[in-house]
Order: sequence, then structure tokens, then C-alpha cells
Amino acid sequence: MPLYDRYPDADVLAQRGHWDTATRQVVLDRVHNVPTYTYFDPQQRATLEALCARVMPQDHRPPEQQIPIGPWIDQRCASRASDGFRFDDMPASELAWIWGLEGLDQTAQALFGESATFRSLDLAKQDGVLELIRTGEPPGQIWRRMPAKRWWVFVAVRQITGIYYAHPYAWDEIGFGGPAYPRGYFALNFGAPEPWEARESAPQAHSAGSHHP
Amino acid sequence: MKLHVHVASDWIIDTDMREYRPSDEVDFCIIGSGAGGGVLAQRLARFGFSVVVLEAGPWHDTELDMVSDEAGSGQLYWNDVRITGGTEPLEFGANNSGRGVGGSTIHYAGFCPRLHPSDFQVKSLDGVAADWPLSYADLEPYYAAMEREYPVSGPARYPWGKPHGYPYAPLQAGTAGQKLIEGCVSLGIGVVAGGPVAIPAGRFGKRPHCIMRGFCLLGCKVGAKSSTLVSHVPDAVEHGAEIRTRSMAYEVPIDAEGRATGVRYIRTLDNGRRAEAEQRARAVIVAGYAIESPRLLLNSRSNRFPTGLANSSGLVGRFLMAQAGPVVWGRFREPIRQYKAPPACACTEEFYETDPRNDFVRGYALQTVAPLPIAMAHLIAEEGGLYGTALLECMQDYNHYAAIGVLGEILPDERNFVSLHPTEKDQFGIPVPYAHFNLFGNDRRLMQAGMSRGRAVLEAAGATETHSVNRYAHLVGTCRMGFTPRDSVVDQWCRTWDVPNLLVCDGSVLPTQGSANPALTISALAARTADWLRRMAPNGELRTSARSAVGMHRS
Repeated sequence: MPLYDRYPDADVLAQRGHWDTATRQVVLDRVHNVPTYTYFDPQQRATLEALCARVMPQDHRPPEQQIPIGPWIDQRCASRASDGFRFDDMPASELAWIWGLEGLDQTAQALFGESATFRSLDLAKQDGVLELIRTGEPPGQIWRRMPAKRWWVFVAVRQITGIYYAHPYAWDEIGFGGPAYPRGYFALNFGAPEPWEARESAPQAHSAGSHHP
Repeated sequence: MKLHVHVASDWIIDTDMREYRPSDEVDFCIIGSGAGGGVLAQRLARFGFSVVVLEAGPWHDTELDMVSDEAGSGQLYWNDVRITGGTEPLEFGANNSGRGVGGSTIHYAGFCPRLHPSDFQVKSLDGVAADWPLSYADLEPYYAAMEREYPVSGPARYPWGKPHGYPYAPLQAGTAGQKLIEGCVSLGIGVVAGGPVAIPAGRFGKRPHCIMRGFCLLGCKVGAKSSTLVSHVPDAVEHGAEIRTRSMAYEVPIDAEGRATGVRYIRTLDNGRRAEAEQRARAVIVAGYAIESPRLLLNSRSNRFPTGLANSSGLVGRFLMAQAGPVVWGRFREPIRQYKAPPACACTEEFYETDPRNDFVRGYALQTVAPLPIAMAHLIAEEGGLYGTALLECMQDYNHYAAIGVLGEILPDERNFVSLHPTEKDQFGIPVPYAHFNLFGNDRRLMQAGMSRGRAVLEAAGATETHSVNRYAHLVGTCRMGFTPRDSVVDQWCRTWDVPNLLVCDGSVLPTQGSANPALTISALAARTADWLRRMAPNGELRTSARSAVGMHRS
């Protein structure tokens, strides 16, 4: 089911003339200068793209509005980027990715046979694999040397959602105003939008977001 | 050297900063320029001492280097790897550490409450943790001074701890802050709006008004929010202190008498080349915060101090504390747009003190927080295990969420510690720090109570559903202050018991942490230590010889 368009008029990028130079450069670079894959091999790329499509599905967006995620993870890995800490039961992030992508296939094989790969499963079966990883008991030898729950939260979900919600198209989807310097905000009461911010359509009819169905 | 750097929208520090040669023996070499080091540098320079600050990170030019963007601000944090373990391994990086002039005050929310008088006597009052070797009254004038100098906005009468008022009027709260206020009012819980937050409600010197941008945690481009980058460092430079950036300290060497002779460090030059140097100094003050300060001392080994400098007690690195920082959020029918206005704008300390009706001692504060989209997505994904379309849909409610942070007191425990990793080295070849953190029974019960209370407040404000996720904030305790050389690393003046001309003056000296964000307390301690140094240094107090450390180890 496609995602309901809560902010049909949103276009944060149209406000870029109001942003300071440094911020504009960072955000536009993110939109226009997507890196090319250098770290993962073609097989790993395909698995990573399949994973990203499950964690942050984008079938509700036209292709030209989809947010690239895999290439940014590749770039992080290639540059051995660190967030400032590493759990003592985890390898470095760039290695955790290699292991995790392999683990997705190992779990897929354990569940669906030797010839299965995560990327070739149908979506329901892919979710079955992810559910086992998320809850911490997936079959597969990789997951005996790397805790699956930790990988799921701190490597897969944090990085994938972090890249998604860093993008102006995602801001449009949730009605976030984006960069706000030097203009700032004036409408502080009653959750009101600024004149230049998107209006929400039918805010009550679509409170799909109960976390506990 | 020529310094040309924006520290606020229209304030450029453009000056010839005094520069010393490493071979010059300066009065004080300070490591770090955050809440402790920044204030010390300013005070000591004003008192006429020669001061060099070694700062591991760069100057963050507010116009050129800071961005109004959640994902684009990674350079503000300490990103060199730290290994984290224990039953509740702590997250570092963006969560609680800064790198660059101003330290983590660059990206703190700016909540600046004082500790309560009871915080200084937790052992006497509750039979747990430790007493401080100083009292609230000893620190009170320095709290007041820091509230004027940061400065801090808040109510004219703040009702908790020892009641006091703030020098600047309350800062306007956004809609998310109003929800905390509404919920507390509806439950009959005392609550204050508009502070205490280190954002003056009005122009302050060369610092303009807050523009209500809501990006406090990503560095203040405006210069309205206080950080030592904008509050104390410019004055330190003006009074002759040198801030030597991109200079990573790795060892404090000692002479035959066991006295510190300076600081060895690695400086990254403009062309990317690295150069080792040793800044000579009559006294050394370590202000690198609760991971880097013990790391530096533990890495400064000698025959005289084989387990690390100033570590005769064996307590360097011990008693690591984080503050409990669970985030509670509610969904409201009406829009909130919590990204507007500073995240720090309303709080209650009604549950701060020990209450015999509780199944735990000490307490917690409730404060506004305002997660930006990425932080919010992480909270939602972590709590419900959501991903895929379910997560996208929840995030479409982003503008309908209001969040509260529970800031709870975790008790010091010797089993929580920072040590040097036995094999791993960082980019400079320095052993990587390992941090070990467990929660214990009192901590868990207190956090549970805080989360329940936070949810009750949001429900009373009209939330249709509430959620919570555990988080931790702030790091203190790893070079604790105490009464004797056996029970602590430093005395009440932040001087190490073992080395007369070596001080530690940052969050790591706190014996307990209360439920108050630590920046103001760290700065107040630094100002008090500076006054002591002004009185004592000319009398030769720092020139006595070291205590013999060999044979004094606890184990």
C-alpha cells in the first residue's frame, strides 16, 4: 500500500536560497553528488540494495525521487568512518557490513535452502530473515561471532534510516522545515508552520503511526 | 599567530594570538578547551599567568564549518574510536563528546541547572556513593558567576535545590516545551519554563538573539547559545592565552622529583603532516573530560608511576558515570513541530531528591528534548523494532511528537571504569580507551520510575500514545575528587594528590553527578580552582615535591 502523502506541497529544497552557504553546500551535495560504489563487490551491493529496500522501502516514490542509500554506506565503509565508538563484541563498522551482508545470505540459506540468497527471496521471506536477525536468533555461522541484534540496530537500521532522513525528500515526507539559518523560526506556538512551510493534509485521518498495532 | 574565525553570526575574532614556543616554560599548560579548560584559560590568563591550551580538535568557524543540518555536523564530535563494553555499553561520539575549541559545550543543549546541596553529601544522607570534599556553599558564588558569564536564562526564582534566580529572563519555549508544562501543571507538578538554559533572552555583547532555530545540538551558528568558544575563550585569547589547536596530548612527562614538566603532544599541521612536540610548563591541568583525562594519565607511565600518573590510589579511570537519559515521547493529535525553538526550554526537578516512598535513592529531572528527524527515527526504530513501511508511517507523525528527557542520577560504582585497551591504537598510535559500564539495581529502578513519570506527564498533556527508549548522557567521575590520597585522585582544588603541579579539572573529578547537566558545575569548579591557583601558585604551593607513589597501589 503506498504511503499517504501527508505534505503534498512540501518542497524543502525550494527554500535553499534562504540557507547559509555552508549548509546549502552540504545539503545540495547530498542530493546531487551521490558517490559511486567502490567498497562492496557487485554481489554485496545487490544484497545491500535489497536490505535498504526493506528497511526504508521507496516504492511510494517515483524513481527520480528515490533517496540513494547504499552508495553512502559504501562511502562510509571505504573511508573507514567511525562514529566514535565500537562495541567490544563487534568488529569495525566497515567489516560489520561485510559480515552482516554475508549473514543475510547465510540465514536465507538456512531457512530456504542452499541456493537461496537474501536478495532473491520474495519480500515476505526477506522480512522473515530480518525478523530473526532483529530478534537476535538467526541461523548462520556469522551470527555466532557477531551479535545479530547489535548489528541490526547499530549498523543496519541506524545507518540506513540515518541516510534516509538526512535527505530533503524525506523531510518533505514528514513535514520537517529543514535548515533554518539565518532565517530562524517565528511561529513557535500551537505547532504552527511558518508561511513557507508545508501544510499538513488531513492530519487526523491518517494517524497510521501507532507503534503498537 | 593570525587568528581569523567566526564565533557568532557577526563576530569574527580577528587578532594576533600570542604564541609560545614549546621550549618556553609557561605557567600553565591546559589540555582541553571545554567547560573546564576554557574557563581556566580565561581566568588564569586574566590573572597574568602565561597559558597554553592544547586542544585536540580545530577551531570550528561558526559560519564556515558549522551547518544547519543534522547529518552534516559529524566533525563536532570526538570520532576516534573508543571501545565500549559492560552490560550497558555506552555510546560515545555525538552522544557526549566534543572535539574542537569549546569541547562538548559546542553541541550541548545548554541546560545549565546547579547541583542541589544534597548532591555534595550523598554518602552522609543516603549511605551510598560519596560525599564531596566541598559543600554547595563553597561552589555557590562560582555558580552565580558562571550564570552571569555564560550567561543563563531562567526564572527569577528557581524553586529547587537552594532556591535562586537567574540573571536573564526566561527564554521562550516552543510548542513541545508547552506540552511538558501542560502535563506537569495538570498533575500538580511544579515546573519552570524558559530555563535554566545557557541562551540569553536578548543580545549579549557581540552575541545576537537566538533565532529559535532548534539546532542547538549541532552547534550554534548564531552564537546565541553559550559555549566556551563564545563565552570564555575569546577573552582568554585577548588576555594572552594561546589556544593551540589540532594538538593531541598523549603523555605528561615527569622529572626526577616526580613533578610534571610539561605535555607531549602530536600536532597536525595545515598540510596534514604531523609533528611531535613537548610543551614545557610549570604546572599542567588536564581538562579532557571523563574518557580522555584518565586515558592521558594512564598512558603517562614511568618507573615512579608504573600504573599511570597520579594513580597511587588505583582510582584513575574508576567510577565512570553516565547520566541516565531515557527519552519519552508522546503523539499528539494537534501539531507540535518540536524542531522549533531550542530543545532546552522547560523542566521539573520535583523528583530530584531522595523520597522514602521510592524503591530507590536519589532521583531524576524531567527536561524537554527535541529530537530532529534522524534522532527521532532511531528512537522509534529502537523502541518498537519498527522498520519498513511501519517506520515510514510513524515518522510521518514527526510533527505530532513531543519528547521529554529523563535525566537521572546513576550512582558511582568502582566496577564502571575507563582503561587502556591492551592492543588497539588510535590514528596517533596512542592506546585506545576502553569503557566499561554496568547498571545496578538502584539505577534501573530510578530509570524505570523516571520513564513512567515522563509518560504520565505526556499523557496528562493529552498524548494519545507514549513511548520510551533508554539513553545515556554526559560522562563524569573517572578522576574523582575526595578527602584523602587513598579515596580519590584529586583534592577539593582539583590538584592530584600524587603530583603537586598536576591538576585534573573537568567532569572526571565529580564524585557524584546529581540529576543536573554537568557543564555549569564543571565551569564553576574550574573558576574556583583558578582562584585557588591565583592565591597559591605565587607562594610556591605547586613547587613542592611529589608524594612517593611506589608501593602504594591498592592491588
